[in-house]
Amino acid sequence: MAGLGDLERDVMAQLWDAGEPLTVRQVFDRLSRERDLAYTTVMTVLDRLAKKGVVTQERADRAYRYAATQTREEMTAALMLDALSSAPDGAARDAALAHFVGRVGPDGAAALSRALEAARNRA
Amino acid sequence: MTALLLGALGLTLSLLVPRPLARARWTARVPAAAVALWQAITLAAVLSAVGVVLAAPEELVRATGRGAEAALIGALAVAAVIVVRLLWCLGGVMYRSRARRERHRTLVDLLDRAERRAGLTDEVRVLDGPLPFAYCLPGRSPRVVVSDGALQVLTAEQVAAVIAHEQAHLRRRHDLVTESFTAFHRAVPRPLRSRRPLDAVHLLLEMLADDAARRAHGDAALRDALTTMGDATTTPETDGGRDEQAERRRRLERLRPGAPGPDRRLAAAVLAAAAGVLVLPTVFLVVPWLDTALGNWPL
Repeated sequence: MAGLGDLERDVMAQLWDAGEPLTVRQVFDRLSRERDLAYTTVMTVLDRLAKKGVVTQERADRAYRYAATQTREEMTAALMLDALSSAPDGAARDAALAHFVGRVGPDGAAALSRALEAARNRA
Repeated sequence: MTALLLGALGLTLSLLVPRPLARARWTARVPAAAVALWQAITLAAVLSAVGVVLAAPEELVRATGRGAEAALIGALAVAAVIVVRLLWCLGGVMYRSRARRERHRTLVDLLDRAERRAGLTDEVRVLDGPLPFAYCLPGRSPRVVVSDGALQVLTAEQVAAVIAHEQAHLRRRHDLVTESFTAFHRAVPRPLRSRRPLDAVHLLLEMLADDAARRAHGDAALRDALTTMGDATTTPETDGGRDEQAERRRRLERLRPGAPGPDRRLAAAVLAAAAGVLVLPTVFLVVPWLDTALGNWPL
């Protein structure tokens, strides 16, 4: 039995792969091909994801449709920017994460920002 | 007199000692003891500042024989401000770090390419993208984040070494050490503020994590991982005052064949120095002063 965290990840993957808003039923259908799970569980998970702000809910034809607020590429780029770049508040950021190697200086951060911007424009 | 001596000690510890200590090469052979020394120096500097604030008014009162009560209240108030400011900064840094990690962990769990981390421990998360990097998210539910790019360019043994390095940070709670030095850094008034202790301790913690990784997976795996990943990600210019390239060179130096290993005697001497920095001023300055002062304060 996979935990709720794994299910959240897999639901996100379905929304990202679909590329369009999905109803709970559609998400449920796609996920239940591979595993045994309840419709209400999918509802709960989508609700949790909406509360986390990574999924939006819109009403269309009496059914709620869910979509990821950012594409996978955008979210990855934003996360990498958060993790790797040096921001004005450098000291506090250093305290939050510890790196093996792989912090980027101003140039790298600019490149990441551009990637993020490009991903945003494509969307 | 006590106030002057404590003031001199505080200024020596916060302005004169950090520069040579940050540059010293011997710290690389005894990173754990060196971290303890930095902690002792920092704590002693703070205690000296509090000591000056308490002792100076008392000594003035004793010399002039006037204004005892006002001096007492003033001294206690300023001392309280110093302590509260430090605790406030510590609380702020810890709160912000935790909030940021929490959010980061949520997203990293959602973005995880679980199918690419077969054989790695449960804490590992894999992020898409060609840039090779690895970092860890400390906390109650810690994560080690590795990019797909890192998995592509590193061998299995090198990946294991990198993960062992990050897990050493997590298990030994290096985040708490970093947070306390960050808080101290922010609490110090801007003109006196220096990144030296923060950066030096950061490098020493990396060395400690390196030592854990090399014990488990060998020097070569770690060295090659550090070389490969560093070349791809670190930019040559300094980043917020911290020279990433120089840090990496100093870590690599310790890993090359024939590099001097750990030195127990040196470690013992450094730990003794750390204890001395805290104990000696207390015994020879603070206790004698307290003896006279307690007799004179209007308590």
